[in-house]
Amino acid sequence: MSERSPRQGRDAGVDEILEGRREPGPVARKLPGPVAWFDIRGRSTGHLAFSLNRITGLGLVFYLYLHLLVLSTLLRGEGSWNGFLEIATTPLFLGFDVLLVFGLLVHGLNGTRLALVGSGFVPNRQKALFWSFMIFGAIVLVYTAIHVFGSEG
Amino acid sequence: MATGPAIATGSPRSRSWRWTAITGVSLLALVTIHMVAHHFVVDEIGGLRTYQHVLDYISTPIIFVIEGGFLVVVTIHAMLGLRSVLFDFGLSERRRRLVERALVVLGVATVAYGFALIGILASRA
Ligand code: HEM
Ligand code: HEM
Ligand code: HEM
Repeated sequence: MSERSPRQGRDAGVDEILEGRREPGPVARKLPGPVAWFDIRGRSTGHLAFSLNRITGLGLVFYLYLHLLVLSTLLRGEGSWNGFLEIATTPLFLGFDVLLVFGLLVHGLNGTRLALVGSGFVPNRQKALFWSFMIFGAIVLVYTAIHVFGSEG
Repeated sequence: MATGPAIATGSPRSRSWRWTAITGVSLLALVTIHMVAHHFVVDEIGGLRTYQHVLDYISTPIIFVIEGGFLVVVTIHAMLGLRSVLFDFGLSERRRRLVERALVVLGVATVAYGFALIGILASRA
């Protein structure tokens, strides 16, 4: 982490917050100084975002290997692939499709937020960004679900 | 860059975090291409790809390059992600090095297997 030595004339309590940010661990920490108020419930939102990001990230890693396993049936020729397709087009598995997209949206949009804020491209307004991204994601998810189940029959 | 963000994983702006972010944002584009190509282009069958579709698709040179790039980027991202999750268990320096080596091996194996897979499929088309 970059050195952030306490400067003169900081608001009360800021040094404590900055100190807290140095501790390792999976906690999104309070914003410093003037914007600290913005983060009143920031801790819980940050926590939620972090947990969701981690769970979906791990889920996607699991999916990646499942995917490679499934794709291996392609090697055994058209017959085995078609067998898989029959299973994959049942409503249950189309439901899994929607679940996967949910994970991708949550993780991808949340990850984009972290990348944008973390690299300094956009102002540090995590909570507003989080919720606007998630609302956008919800719209895309509903569209996807309609598309997946709509084209099933 | 004095206004530090509340980044959760690893130490903010470390090399591994930067690469997680870079590969992550590239994945946004690559995953979207992948999903759209597989599900929306072939419309008459509900976007589903048959065996022959897959072979035709992956044997197209530009597609092969994009999918291969996707494979590499997603694997790097996934290994960095696992690294940060595992490191949060508070491992000793020795265990950390062990984890890093294991992830390099796993990542190389994954990419090798993936390329073998799409290489064989492309050669069948
Ligand atoms: C936007 C629409 C869709 C999305 C986002 C989507 C998403 C997914 C996902 C995440 C998988 C991987 C699941 C797995 O491997 O078990 C998948 C596979 C599959 N989906 Fe969909 N799906 C969509 C539409 C459809 C439709 C309309 C059909 C067919 C009626 C379909 C058929 C399949 C089949 C056969 C597979 C297995 C192929 C493979 O894994 O390579 N999907 N889809
Ligand atoms: C869709 C585009 C994606 C974007 C924009 C993205 C972005 C990110 C970012 C920025 C992080 C760092 C989070 C942090 O600093 O706390 C991250 C973590 C992670 N990503 Fe992704 N990612 C994407 C897709 C994926 C995929 C496809 C996988 C799995 C194959 C994946 C697996 C992970 C894992 C396991 C972590 C670690 C989570 C943690 O440390 O809590 N990501 N991602
Ligand atoms: C919508 C659901 C999906 C379907 C139907 C699907 C289908 C396929 C198919 C048919 C292939 C083999 C041919 C080709 O490369 O084009 C493939 C390859 C691949 N897919 Fe997917 N995919 C889906 C989602 C995903 C997701 C979410 C990820 C990322 C976690 C992913 C990662 C990959 C990778 C890395 C390859 C290359 C494999 C290799 O190089 O051997 N796919 N996918």
